Amino acid sequence: MKLHNIRGLVLPLLLLGAWEYASRQDAAGAYAFVPLAQVGSAWVELLGSGELLINLWASLVRTCTGLAVGIVGGIGLGALMALSAPANRLIAPLFHALRQVPILGWIPLIALWLGNGESAKLLIVSLAALYPMVLNTFESLRQVEGQHREAARVLMLSRTQQLRLILLPAALPGIAAGVLQALAFAWVTSVGSELFLSSGAGLGSLMMTAEAGARMEIIVVCVLCIGLCGYLMSWLCTLLSRRLLRWRPTR
Amino acid sequence: MNAIAHALPTTATHGALTLRGLSKAYALKGKPMQVLKDIELNIQPGEFVSIVGASGCGKSTLLRLIVGLDQDYHGQILLDQQPVRGPGLERGIVFQDHRLFPWMTLQQNIALALKNHTMPATHKDRLVAEHIELVGLSGYEHAYPHQLSGGMAQRAAIARALVNKPKVLLLDEPLGALDALTRVRLQQELQRIWVQERCTVIMVTHDIEEALYLGDRVIVMDAHPGRIREDLHIDLPHPRERDSAVLHAYKQRLLGELVGH
Repeated sequence: MKLHNIRGLVLPLLLLGAWEYASRQDAAGAYAFVPLAQVGSAWVELLGSGELLINLWASLVRTCTGLAVGIVGGIGLGALMALSAPANRLIAPLFHALRQVPILGWIPLIALWLGNGESAKLLIVSLAALYPMVLNTFESLRQVEGQHREAARVLMLSRTQQLRLILLPAALPGIAAGVLQALAFAWVTSVGSELFLSSGAGLGSLMMTAEAGARMEIIVVCVLCIGLCGYLMSWLCTLLSRRLLRWRPTR
Repeated sequence: MNAIAHALPTTATHGALTLRGLSKAYALKGKPMQVLKDIELNIQPGEFVSIVGASGCGKSTLLRLIVGLDQDYHGQILLDQQPVRGPGLERGIVFQDHRLFPWMTLQQNIALALKNHTMPATHKDRLVAEHIELVGLSGYEHAYPHQLSGGMAQRAAIARALVNKPKVLLLDEPLGALDALTRVRLQQELQRIWVQERCTVIMVTHDIEEALYLGDRVIVMDAHPGRIREDLHIDLPHPRERDSAVLHAYKQRLLGELVGH
């Protein structure tokens, strides 16, 4: 492994060191900063009982489902707004007004309509993924260069062919950037919604239960899990988009 | 040379272009700006016409009108006696920038021009391969545009414009962005390709030498408003010698006219 590959590990390791140091100062420190050994044994315990995987899986599935809904809906809505001026005039004011409301601010209303079950959480996650997808799709379709459109017209492509073969591929870099944002939002709101609507499985629910039982080490395990999984998913996403966008000149 | 000897007897029968009283005005800050005024032009099938003129003489606008990208004009554009309305596959165009789609390989870019033809796929594949061969890009079928040099990308753009067998090929300063050596090489290529394909070609350029070397006719345009000043017939058979005395004399004369006053 090259030196610059491990450089990213320096800060996390320093942080761990500081954490361990703080936990050894006094009783209050040991409560606020659980000793790493305790975190480790909690990790082993949660893995052994299957609790961690079940909850992690529930959060992941919800994130992916919501993300898929958000991506499909967002590309559709964004494309509609970018390609049809009447649709844009009709939808844009409402969309931009609703988008100002923080996602978690919807939770009381959504809980009232859908209860605190899976469908409420899924709606929140989908909504969180939808916003960046609509914005990025809209902007990148709007910015497709005029010369691409002209070349497509000269080649006598039909409207649907232009959309499929020219406009969407041209907008793909922007849409891919949108997916990366949407993924982050979906993951955060998926866990976040569990904190508010704590029913059923999920990392957030696990954290709420742990908090009630004053099990700090479990909370720390969950936080680590959330960070790691989010990082992994966006890394996978970046790999995928690099593959899809391999036609772009490397800079 | 073989290809040329073989292609000479075929003279084009399609691709007569007639412009009648063609005028075009833009609104600039609310005032109409005359870009083209009363352009009258008869182009024979299979003729290579070069258009030169100072910038602002509307020569590129003229091509946009003929290709059908701009339909807001007065006058008539007739192709084989039929009025031109909007873009059509019987007119191909190559711009100064190659305008290949960066997400498609060279082969996909050229095949896209055949998208709406109802011929069998194998026939399409053959046509694409033939045209890649024609512009000398065999072996680069699967390259993306950013992997090609400027000259290669422009060859690919020419192949894309030709693969539909257009009656008229419009070239809008096609070699303008290339370095001098590549330009000279591509001028020879263009001549060879034209002799082989024998479609009508209208090429806008600001390189007088290029206009004379390739054109059966050289149209000189004036600016403000854009209009035809002179219509020179260059009676030299193709392929031509670049350093021919006749061309040289014409060049001196045109340079004097265009730069002189």
